[in-house]
Amino acid sequence: MQHANRDAVLRDAYITGSGVFLPGDPVANDRIEDFIGRVGGRASSIGPRALRWNGIRTRHYALTPQGEPLHSNASMSAKAVQAALADAGLGRENLQMLATATTQGDYLVPGHASAVHGELGGAPLELASFQSVCASSLMALKAATASVRTGEHECAAIVAGEFSSRWFRPGFYENTALLDGKGRLTMEADFLRFTLSDGAGALVLEDKPRRDRTCLRIEWIDLTSLAGSYDPCMWAGAPQALRADMMQAWSHAGPKASHANGAIALLQDFALLKVIIRAWIGVYLQKVDSGRIVPEQVDWLLFHYSARSLRQEIVDILQSTRAMIPEEKWFTTLPDTGNIGAASIFVMLDALVKSGKVNPGERILCVVPESGRAMVGFVMLEMVAGASFT
Amino acid sequence: MSVVDVSVAELSSARDLAVSDALRKLALVWTDFEARLEATPLIRKLTRGRFELADYQNFLINLRQQVKDGSLWMSRAASSIDEQHLELRSTLMKHAVTEHRDFRMLEADYVAAGGTLSAIQNAKKNIGSEALSGWMFNEASQRNPFGLLGAMFIIEGLGSIKAQEWGKLAHDRLGLPKDAFNFLLYHGENDAEHMREFEEMLALVLPDEQVAERIVTCAKVVARLYVMQIEEIAA
Repeated sequence: MQHANRDAVLRDAYITGSGVFLPGDPVANDRIEDFIGRVGGRASSIGPRALRWNGIRTRHYALTPQGEPLHSNASMSAKAVQAALADAGLGRENLQMLATATTQGDYLVPGHASAVHGELGGAPLELASFQSVCASSLMALKAATASVRTGEHECAAIVAGEFSSRWFRPGFYENTALLDGKGRLTMEADFLRFTLSDGAGALVLEDKPRRDRTCLRIEWIDLTSLAGSYDPCMWAGAPQALRADMMQAWSHAGPKASHANGAIALLQDFALLKVIIRAWIGVYLQKVDSGRIVPEQVDWLLFHYSARSLRQEIVDILQSTRAMIPEEKWFTTLPDTGNIGAASIFVMLDALVKSGKVNPGERILCVVPESGRAMVGFVMLEMVAGASFT
Repeated sequence: MSVVDVSVAELSSARDLAVSDALRKLALVWTDFEARLEATPLIRKLTRGRFELADYQNFLINLRQQVKDGSLWMSRAASSIDEQHLELRSTLMKHAVTEHRDFRMLEADYVAAGGTLSAIQNAKKNIGSEALSGWMFNEASQRNPFGLLGAMFIIEGLGSIKAQEWGKLAHDRLGLPKDAFNFLLYHGENDAEHMREFEEMLALVLPDEQVAERIVTCAKVVARLYVMQIEEIAA
């Protein structure tokens, strides 16, 4: 490990490998509740609506149909890192830094990065452990990129893993305030059960491009939080009515009372989500207006959101302001891999690169909105040809 | 293609570009405006489930004074537009006619929400509404006050984007009959139609750099003064 020279010039960082771990077989829409269970023993009435809205056809669960775990978040994350290292033609011994991202790790403490390093084993590493929702993936990527660009490390891995399904089992909802008078789960709680699923995606970052094949140069990474203006929109740790008051957090009420008042489950405020979608678009338009993003110069768009979930009014705004990236440039795996939270963007990037569709010189824009508390991140990548041997 | 055709094509493409540039800047003003609105005490109460009947009544009272002035400044603006821009003048006059009785809807909602007609009719403007109204009339009195298109973008956006959202939250929270929410729930329908009409209005005055800048500036001023108006509504 070398120490950064005070006068060192910033280097470029390249994504030289990627890997994915998706547990089990793809699960079709009509089998979802065989895995996550039926709250109060009854089929959800909200599920079909959620599926129409998100357009997901299959997903993966790290559970058996009996609800037994097949993996941990850490073990899935470690498998994705190993796959990415193998794809890069490297091994665990080459790794100097590991940056991880997740919404909820296996333990409350310590961080997910420690758990993944534990699973990977091997020599000491620098760790960075990011916990948020979808955009935690880009926090990890940005931390690793900064380390490689400043010359602190030559090789870093970034992994985002999620094991959402275990939180969707009936035990998290039954006998809580999240059930209405007829024993049905509220929309705020039930919708996400049909939206999120499990898996992990990893990238390997190096300070040099690959010689033998194409790789991706990181042009820039921008992350913008608007939490100063908005209340939590997707959260766990407080019932809906109390979510803006941190003094009412679950940790103050204690575990039993918190479970009873519905503070433990993952919840989403749909009225606020509509406002936050416009706020995300605002951040994007700002980048178009300032020239940071030139829509005509983007060849591929990986948007961690389904086009069909965007209301027509948003598409109209993007078109009328010349900020729309035409839908034929959008690439997604969402309908087949499901929404894997933080892992989704790396899973999509892995699939796009391995599809062989991206030519050297083409630019890929990744957009990762996070409804948690109004955040959105962007990554601009450029495909570069293999460096020649000189 | 003749020389005339080329220049017509160039003109229309320059106009399209100017319109989409202005719309993008206006959309940015809008998102900043929305974030500021979210942070006002009244809207915080609404989104955090703390909104009471008194809040709703106050909201209606304060909206009425501003809505009543809306068609008046629009008429004033129409009368300040010269004969080179008759098309825009017609559009503004039509708008003013469509909206000039809307404040009656607010009065009816207020009565349905348990208030008395005289209370809402005799209430004073809050200082935010004072500032907003005063500024609007001043701008509308200038020659060719095209900047007010920016003001319209914000005010129309409130109608087509925020009104229903607020109306639904207030209705769910207060349990009053739907006829106490006519203004918020049914006033701002037909988004796409409004947007197309607005683009056509922009195309009547653009491309013109100074006008474009004034439109965006007016949108910013109106957004800030409107937030002040909402901030001043306290139960």
